[in-house]
Amino acid sequence: MNRLVFTFAAAVLLTSGGAHATLNVFACEPEWAALAGEIGGDKVSVFTATTARQDPHQVQARPALIARLRAADLAVCTGAELEIGWMPVLLRQAANPKVQPGAPGYFAAADQVLLLDVPARLDRADGDVHAAGNPHLHLDPRNIAAVGAGLARRLADLDGANAAWYAARQKTFAEKWTAAMQGWEAKAAPLRGVAVVVYHKDWVYLENWLGLKQVATIEPKPGVAPGAAYLAQLLQDVPARGVKLILYAAYQEARAAQFVAEKSGVPAVMLPFTVGGTERATDLYGLFDDSINRLLAGVGTTR
Amino acid sequence: MNAANLVIVLPAFCAGLLVLATHVPLGRLVLDRGIVFIDLAVAQVAGLGVVAADAAGFEGGWPVQAAALAAALTAALGLSVTEKRLGHLQEAVIGVVFVAAASAEIVLLSFNPHGAEHLKDLLVGQILWVTFDQLWPVLIVYALVLLALWRIDVARRRFVFYGLFAVTVTVSVQLVGVFLVFASLIVPALVVKVAARPRPLPIAYGVGLAGYVIGLVSSAWIDLPTGAAIVCALALVGLIAGLSFSFLRTPA
Repeated sequence: MNRLVFTFAAAVLLTSGGAHATLNVFACEPEWAALAGEIGGDKVSVFTATTARQDPHQVQARPALIARLRAADLAVCTGAELEIGWMPVLLRQAANPKVQPGAPGYFAAADQVLLLDVPARLDRADGDVHAAGNPHLHLDPRNIAAVGAGLARRLADLDGANAAWYAARQKTFAEKWTAAMQGWEAKAAPLRGVAVVVYHKDWVYLENWLGLKQVATIEPKPGVAPGAAYLAQLLQDVPARGVKLILYAAYQEARAAQFVAEKSGVPAVMLPFTVGGTERATDLYGLFDDSINRLLAGVGTTR
Repeated sequence: MNAANLVIVLPAFCAGLLVLATHVPLGRLVLDRGIVFIDLAVAQVAGLGVVAADAAGFEGGWPVQAAALAAALTAALGLSVTEKRLGHLQEAVIGVVFVAAASAEIVLLSFNPHGAEHLKDLLVGQILWVTFDQLWPVLIVYALVLLALWRIDVARRRFVFYGLFAVTVTVSVQLVGVFLVFASLIVPALVVKVAARPRPLPIAYGVGLAGYVIGLVSSAWIDLPTGAAIVCALALVGLIAGLSFSFLRTPA
């Protein structure tokens, strides 16, 4: 039902906005759709391939994905192999030379920032490790700023007539974003040094920014469910290492995190992970507002 | 945009025609033997073969296909023996094979999670991602399967039946996924059973074709996940056809 409404709304938007929108943007994830909207305003028409409730590693094949990529002037994705399970097939099916990797119409956010967790050695026994580094880079707002600047340049390259427009909107966004970041950093000061357990290693950028200390992951290796011995060790570690929070994403199953939370008495906190992940995370500002509020509330209950 | 979507689903439609061509006759045999879940079991064992090959260091391409096929054929051989020996217990055997193979995959993957990608490629093929290039080898394999079905009395040759079935399902599951394979096998065959008419094949193919067309068109029209839309359409067409035939059959 939601998808139906969404499709009709998208169709209406597409036909009504078609006359003004000059650039068709295909965003792989909601965070980049939101960022493209911040910088492009009504000069871009944005389609989002995945929702916040979907694991961005996996995507169900729908015709609109191909149709939109075929019509796109610019694809904005995370890169760093995050979309490796579906974007290559989609690019092949769409056969749109403008947005193939390497072309100006393919923009990878991962190229704009320094990635964390770049593996020193690649061993398949370590699980679903991304060779290029951890791709969940959008959870550090400083990365959002860097990607925004790069995206504005790319939009100006592709749509020279509106170059000044993109530059101006980027400037406004960067100023507003810097101010918001200062607010978040001040507010999140109590979170510095707090020990956390996470489900999957998709929080490293948030932890790095806020100074959270990741003690363990519920998955022994990325993409592998924990076994009994591993869980027993984990449950010993939680009190021993002073863990205050267990984090999981809105798109992930709550059960494993709830299980560890119940056994250990440490609260499990669900974070939006991206734009649309919770009711309050309606845009990029809401994403970080809500994440920090939820983290603070979680820490509050353990005191 | 919607007309463009119809062009996009064209390779998927061709894949559907190929799958229907082989699965409709095989589905009738499956239903006659009372072993409807065999496709799930065979597909799962093929997946186990892929995971095992991956754990042994083989990656991608032909080795993976060979491992999938070898595992599926081994399962087929075993199942043809158990059908002979255990007869009416065959459905239970198939169920056990299914859960054991699926669980063995999970155990193997905990040592080597990398194989998960190959397993997923194998079991949850997505019909919309099909390209025409992929369809040529399928066309050749299915032509041979159809030839065998036509020339050999497969219903009486137990091992030939299980072997053909293993080959067909290993191919089709990668192309369109397990749900669609199951629906393509069982729904048309089920309607034919209910209809009990002298010319069953046109009815079965008609039901299958209607399901694929309705599913693909609605998927293109309102942007539904394609494979799931076709399964729902097949079930709906099957239900309506089944009800109509049973009404027609009941004397007023």
